[in-house]
Amino acid sequence: MKYEYWFAKIQGINLRKKIRLRQCMKTAEAIYYIEETQLKKIEFLNESEQDKILKAKRQDPEKEYESLCEKGIRFIPHFTDEYPEKLKRISDYPYALYVKGSLPDKAAKKAALVGARRCTPYGEKYAVDFGKVLAEHGVQIISGMARGVDGMGHRGALLGNGKTFAVLGCGVDVCYPREHIGLYVDILEQGGGIISEMPPGTPPFPQNFPARNRIISGLSDVVLVMEAGEKSGSLITVDLALEQGREVYALPGPVNSRMSIGCNELIRQGAGILLSPEMFLEELGLSGKKTEKEGKNKKMLETQEELLYSCLGLYPKSVEEILKETKLEVRQVMEILVSLELRGYIREISKNHYIIV
Amino acid sequence: MSFSTILSAVIEGLEVAFIHVEADISNGLPVFHMVGYLSSEVKEAGERVRTAIKNSGFEYPAKRTVVNLSPATMRKHGASFDLPIAAAILTALGQIEKPEKDCLIIGELSLGGSVKKVSGVLPIVMEAKEKGVRKCIVPSENVTEASLVSEMEIVGAATLQEAVEAMQNRRKRKKIQNKEITDCGNLRKTVQKETKFPDFADMKGQEFVKRAAEIAVAGGHNLLLIGPPGSGKSMTAKCIAGILPPLDLRESLEITKIYSVLGLVDEKTPLIVDRPFREVHHTATKAALIGGGTIPHPGEISLAHKGVLFLDELPEFRRDTLEVLRQPLEERYVNLSRTYGNYTFPANFMLVAAMNPCPCGCFPNANCTCTPLQIQAYQNRISRPFLDRIDLCVEASQVKYEHLSDEQKGESSKEIRKRICRVREMQRIRYKETGNLTNAMLEGDALNKYCKLGTKEKKVMEQAFSVMNLTARGYSRILKTARTIADLEESDAIKVKHLQEALGYRMDNRKYTV
Repeated sequence: MKYEYWFAKIQGINLRKKIRLRQCMKTAEAIYYIEETQLKKIEFLNESEQDKILKAKRQDPEKEYESLCEKGIRFIPHFTDEYPEKLKRISDYPYALYVKGSLPDKAAKKAALVGARRCTPYGEKYAVDFGKVLAEHGVQIISGMARGVDGMGHRGALLGNGKTFAVLGCGVDVCYPREHIGLYVDILEQGGGIISEMPPGTPPFPQNFPARNRIISGLSDVVLVMEAGEKSGSLITVDLALEQGREVYALPGPVNSRMSIGCNELIRQGAGILLSPEMFLEELGLSGKKTEKEGKNKKMLETQEELLYSCLGLYPKSVEEILKETKLEVRQVMEILVSLELRGYIREISKNHYIIV
Repeated sequence: MSFSTILSAVIEGLEVAFIHVEADISNGLPVFHMVGYLSSEVKEAGERVRTAIKNSGFEYPAKRTVVNLSPATMRKHGASFDLPIAAAILTALGQIEKPEKDCLIIGELSLGGSVKKVSGVLPIVMEAKEKGVRKCIVPSENVTEASLVSEMEIVGAATLQEAVEAMQNRRKRKKIQNKEITDCGNLRKTVQKETKFPDFADMKGQEFVKRAAEIAVAGGHNLLLIGPPGSGKSMTAKCIAGILPPLDLRESLEITKIYSVLGLVDEKTPLIVDRPFREVHHTATKAALIGGGTIPHPGEISLAHKGVLFLDELPEFRRDTLEVLRQPLEERYVNLSRTYGNYTFPANFMLVAAMNPCPCGCFPNANCTCTPLQIQAYQNRISRPFLDRIDLCVEASQVKYEHLSDEQKGESSKEIRKRICRVREMQRIRYKETGNLTNAMLEGDALNKYCKLGTKEKKVMEQAFSVMNLTARGYSRILKTARTIADLEESDAIKVKHLQEALGYRMDNRKYTV
């Protein structure tokens, strides 16, 4: 395996050529011990690629592989049984995967939860909701651990006590974005996994991210888009998913919300519509019985509280706006807002901007 | 007579040090010696004095002159020794008679013999009165300022000649009425200056911000205004200057002393009668803010003593500049240690700060173009411990067109000020024994005593502590703010609704994480 790892790590050789070369030579070991004259005869490799192989020979495959094992990272090349079959069926499957933790279960349903990094509280809430309910029903959530919807999707799945998998655009031992280190640890602790096609230690180069999107959709059965702007990166994932023949669902949003333009457009073009996690589960063929609808009427609110609560939504509203809508006095509004916040019905998202929970 | 001594004084930091100026004239080589640990501006006094004496029509014989400023161990600086040195020499020469023992002289001389204005006259005269001095000869430009001290004979001198006449009691004193200043109403009349601040009535919308400003001023709480550009943060701060409660005489003199030391009072405004409102630009240095120099000068925070220090664009300040404010914000004075000693300056100010929520200023609106990382980096420019010292934090939101076109005027600053004065008076009576003046200054036992909570109220705070994850300092800030809100309603007990409102204005310490 050490030679396989050595070969997979060589950069600057086209994915297809790599696979073809290995097919020709049968093992990576053979490539490592190949004579220079013989290498020059391989015609589908150009000179610089041949040079790269020769240069790579200076590394010690044994030492490199040992340090990989020490880090607890598994190396899974495409010809092994462990390699996800679903992924292998896409046209440009990765040569090898590096995995920390586990890979998604072959038998389980897998859903990719993607969306904008700069999402609104609306997208955040539904990413958590969908992640949670789906995880509770055994659906494994796959996403990219990015800021915004991705991270929230993972968080939701963790809340639902499910396994969730993060596909990174950097090495699996690099936590990007850094503030998600807590999430990174929690995913591993709950039996999920961190997956990447980049060798460990690769920094988060921007050009790697569109490529990792194909793995996210390639690993899953369906792709759920929570929020996407007009030119969102999530739409790249959607295009790739459609190429790979995955089903795409989108969460509808208000027509005037910039962060929902992409989603609404997808629905117009015929994507599935996400109205609630339960309805989606039914479409997947899993019953959504475990639902206790927590109606608003359950909350014991007084008239004025009700008045104020009803004017809040999932898009943040400032106290000034609330004042204007409710026509209440400043001190009344502050009192009610804080009492609702203390009871956990609303949340202060930025100073004096509130959303409902 | 060939030896004489004259009493003078100088400012050290904010303290007054009395200096005896001694002169001795004897036969010998015609040299002029000055001793007594002098800085160069004092050494130069020799030339000024000799020329001024000559040009004022006195004779200066070719004799050996020695001038000593005692105590000799203290470093002397400033130009206020010119006049006492001249007086000492003239007396030693026997050209004039020795003045009374309890007469203090200060003033700077020009070569032509005229006496120039000096700074720090008020504290010197006040201190002199304590010491038992009966008569002060000061530059005529400083007379109004010096006359604020009652039961003291103040004589102004425009020239050295006049000063000499004053010493000899020959000068027919212009009757300077020591103005009878006993209360604030009178106080105002002594000052012709009328400062103009924007009125809250002209502020459109922003009822919420106005309310927070009222609470902040009523209790002397620190206030942070967050909001997009053009939302009226700076205007709110300036309006706050217009609703500050009036000063009483003691406070007024306390402030004037600081201003006098820095030479910021003049004949027109000998007394500071309005609470100071100091707006500091974000390029300010540490020394400018808290005071600095080998012998420190008071900085902006001392100039804002008993008033408001306004820091606009808070994140643009250098971080270390803001950090130096932490100790004065808590202790309400600043202590500067130098080689020559320790200097303590009062700094009991109310902090008003303004900032944008993010670099573009629009967060959390949808049209904000900043990334979460940028927003966090921007907000992180101000340290947690600094923000922890701010009692109220409000968001000033973008002004809507409906508000701008609204002809109706809001409540005027005058009405708001009336309420504030009432609440401040309540606090003054309540805290008579503790020496505190405002709710914001409550601490330790006094806090527990005056901010007692009932069982229902305790439960709310318990809930808030876990839900809003307050710090211990944050907790006491909420109590103090709630105390002020209760005072505004003239309620003796702090009720749940007061706590709830106070919690709404709390400084949040949220971080952007999943």
